Amino acid sequence: MSKTDLSKPTRQSIKGMALIFVQGIRKSVKIFWPLLLALLLNEKIRENEMIMILSGVVIFVLLVAHSILYYLNFFFYLKNDEFILKKGYLRKKILSIPLDRIQSVNTKQNLFQQLLNVVSLEIDTAGSVGKELKIHALDKLFAIELQNVLQLQKPKATAEQEEKAVLPEEHEKVILKLSPSDLLRIGISENHLRTGLIILVFGNQIYQNIADLFKNKAEEYSNEVVDYMANSGWTIVVVFILFFLVASVLFSLFRTLFKYFDFKLIKKNETYRIESGLINKRKVIISHSKVQQLDWETGPLKKIFGIYHLVFKQAVSKQTKKSQLVDAPGCLSGHLKLLRADLFGEEVLVNEPKVYSNNFYFRRLWILSGWIPAIVAVPFFYDIWVFWVAAAGWILASAGYSFLILKKRYFRINNEQIRVSQGAISHKWKQMRLFKIQSVEFKQSVFQKRRALASLKLMNAAGTITIPYIDELMAKQIYNYLIYHAETSEKRWM
Amino acid sequence: MENFSNLIITPDNIPDINKDSFNLLDKKYKTILYIRFVFVLLLVIAGAVLFFILTEEDLPILIVGSVFSVVALLLIYSALIIYFGFPKKGYLIRENDISFQRGLIFFTSTSVPFNRIQHVEVSQGILAKIFKLSSLKIYTAGGSASDLSIPGLPKETAGKLKDFLSEKISRHE
Repeated sequence: MSKTDLSKPTRQSIKGMALIFVQGIRKSVKIFWPLLLALLLNEKIRENEMIMILSGVVIFVLLVAHSILYYLNFFFYLKNDEFILKKGYLRKKILSIPLDRIQSVNTKQNLFQQLLNVVSLEIDTAGSVGKELKIHALDKLFAIELQNVLQLQKPKATAEQEEKAVLPEEHEKVILKLSPSDLLRIGISENHLRTGLIILVFGNQIYQNIADLFKNKAEEYSNEVVDYMANSGWTIVVVFILFFLVASVLFSLFRTLFKYFDFKLIKKNETYRIESGLINKRKVIISHSKVQQLDWETGPLKKIFGIYHLVFKQAVSKQTKKSQLVDAPGCLSGHLKLLRADLFGEEVLVNEPKVYSNNFYFRRLWILSGWIPAIVAVPFFYDIWVFWVAAAGWILASAGYSFLILKKRYFRINNEQIRVSQGAISHKWKQMRLFKIQSVEFKQSVFQKRRALASLKLMNAAGTITIPYIDELMAKQIYNYLIYHAETSEKRWM
Repeated sequence: MENFSNLIITPDNIPDINKDSFNLLDKKYKTILYIRFVFVLLLVIAGAVLFFILTEEDLPILIVGSVFSVVALLLIYSALIIYFGFPKKGYLIRENDISFQRGLIFFTSTSVPFNRIQHVEVSQGILAKIFKLSSLKIYTAGGSASDLSIPGLPKETAGKLKDFLSEKISRHE
């Protein structure tokens, strides 16, 4: 039924050339921007127009040549149940990936791609080939077709099944759809502290970069600022905090709006499809069996609206060290229940008791986060009385925080699955099927040994679940059981 | 502990990993650890000397003293850890999994079932080359947290283990 023959080497859309060109510009600007800025600010060079124009032309020609060569040497095709991608003109590269090793196939569309009406397609694997499996420009229809073929064509599928799999919109069911008012709620209930930190870090980075360029000017300027702050005292602090708060909330709102605009979570057969984005449109397909772990989180503000942020954790690819985030913000408890029933079965881990971490976990947290930093600071500040007040406050605050952590730290387990709860101010749960385990770690310090306690780390392909400070015997039993379970389970972890 | 049987119904015959049945690493690996330690020690001393030559201002004795004692304590600690911690390091191969344990003060034991191994690698640093030792690296899917690296194996042992594991992996494919 398909017009496209994927067994023949195929080039991407011809529009890809423009895209490669633009990306080339972006990459070179990213690498050379300090140099460019320095050149633009240097009057001697600015006056000499010939050099400017000449170097501009040379760079332009090089980039055009690069785009054409890259385009002409970029092929992909299917052969013997493997997806093969050839690229490169100076250094040729052939990447191949067996179809059943593909974790997920995602399409994305940024503003420029929207103008050209093409999408980029990324193939995620658990192996070592990683993010290099990316096709920059495909016509939309072709991309959808390829996505379906790669995602649903199992190695030994018969022709009939293939056809069935490619047939679109069969049992599609929209599970979650976010309206603008939902987005508003999600944006408001984001963790503003985290957003604030992001702003601080980025702001600081930008400031540092600028400061390096205009060192002298910046010093004068910052001296003025310091003087001003010293003179105006508390008002400036209050204004600063207010500004910071407003900026954080606005930033969260915009981020949510851009990332999750027109968000849809669609269920079809055994897969989920997520579509969202205002300027950068993403479309991710993930099959149930490739979800290694399900995380969901709520916070004080989210609780008011009754919403959870849910993340489908997939295998991390070794090269990028991070997985494509497949998430659904703004799930209500009904959605959460539905998705959990889909992935883990109904009414699972309800009757099993909650096993809490031992109280000594609190003590360790308190000593590490409260006492040790305070004691380390003593030799530096011991002669300032404010320090002692601050240190006492710090130790008290860390006691409260550690207590919150302890109260939320528990797990439920049965023969098939585990669910772990953790958090301090926000509350997060992680659930996985035990056969998805990759390796298990048993940890015990001498302090724990004295009290017959131990910690466990359960590693799956998506990350690590930690169970701190539980009874030593229980830890050993779970450790032995998990290895036994992984060895005897017939199910494939991906 | 009574309530644990409610959590997981454990078959009676689940094998227990016995701490004492682990194979120790090659004695020569201890020498490598000592050589590395001396190297770090020399670096620290060189750094301290440079620091005192280059700083003109006098630093408060309390700060210098506490930094010094912390560094000295760390060095003594790591020397003791090498001496007493070495016998704690060991690996164990059972019918269906491989385990590695280490740690004197922070004991850790990691197990990887054979059917979860992606690939196996033998690597050798400069020091290890002199002493004819190798490390066995076992990679699983996902991030590096779940990978296992067993240092201080005689070169032939490492090679044999690699072949053994590779054969096991291909059987699971």
